[in-house]
Amino acid sequence: MASLARIGCAAAQTPVIEQTPAPDAPAGVVNAQRAWQNWTLNCRGCHRPDGTGSADTTPSLAGTVAKFLWVPGGREYLGRVPGVATSPLADADLAELVNWMLWRFDREHMPSNFPPFTATEIGRLRTRPLRLEASTIRSELLKKVEESGPP
Amino acid sequence: MAQFDHLAEKVLRGFASRTSRRSVFSVLGGFLAGAAALPLLPVARGAEANPGSGDPNSGQTAPQESGNPQDPGDRTKCDYWRYCAIDGSLCSCYGGSVNSCPPGVEMSPITWIGTCRNPADQRNYIISYNDCCGGVAWGRCACQNNQGDRPVVRPQTNNEVTWCFGTKSQSYTCTVALILGVAIDQKK
Repeated sequence: MASLARIGCAAAQTPVIEQTPAPDAPAGVVNAQRAWQNWTLNCRGCHRPDGTGSADTTPSLAGTVAKFLWVPGGREYLGRVPGVATSPLADADLAELVNWMLWRFDREHMPSNFPPFTATEIGRLRTRPLRLEASTIRSELLKKVEESGPP
Repeated sequence: MAQFDHLAEKVLRGFASRTSRRSVFSVLGGFLAGAAALPLLPVARGAEANPGSGDPNSGQTAPQESGNPQDPGDRTKCDYWRYCAIDGSLCSCYGGSVNSCPPGVEMSPITWIGTCRNPADQRNYIISYNDCCGGVAWGRCACQNNQGDRPVVRPQTNNEVTWCFGTKSQSYTCTVALILGVAIDQKK
């Protein structure tokens, strides 16, 4: 194949990449450059470079995504939300990407005792992807977040 | 015949008494200038920009080279390396460039993203294909390379979708190809 060409907000193939840890990699991110690339090829097109998304179609990550970790069911939601669960990435790359996105777009709301997602956990969660109910569940979880506040 | 001569003389004398020589030159000049301007009207350009004319460049756009050997190729041609995964019309042929929309046309912030190999250094670069929206689509420099395109059952990975989201107009005009970075090399 002449290149790794991929189209769209999501991509279809997983490049095999060097495993050198980046110096500023957060917990659960082996290679921040790889995580950035997977974000760019799989998520950025719709979520926009700053993670703010579009109100009607693509929920914002910026300043929001880590709040799901505050309430029961939120962690599971992050592994089952369609954009994550149906991603073409392998479990390990996907777990690293989710950990990186939490840190990149909403580190201020990450619980101090946050255990990073693992490939095993993501692999288990993505077997039950959310579909049309995703937006309803998201709204319910954010309501709980509003009520509970930070842990 | 005499009656005809008399009638003609009467008409001409009447015309001459109502008009000056200067006004005649003015009207004739207007016709001449109008005829010269006709090919410049957008209607005429549209007719020349027939997408089915064979050459996607239609012979209307001058070549656009970067002048940098690390970024080789004519950006008005479909075989330029950054266009490996494009499906649309090249903004380079619309008064824009490979990096910018034509004047008065808005670039969509929602994009599809792929990678293309640069023939100069044989490295893969991450390319963002941003649609430019709100202008007239002549179909000029149509280009379909579709490397990595996926069926429309995965709409987020299908480049036939018009990505005019987040713009004032959803009317597609053309597409640019921006470099976002160098992709991490694969291990064989």
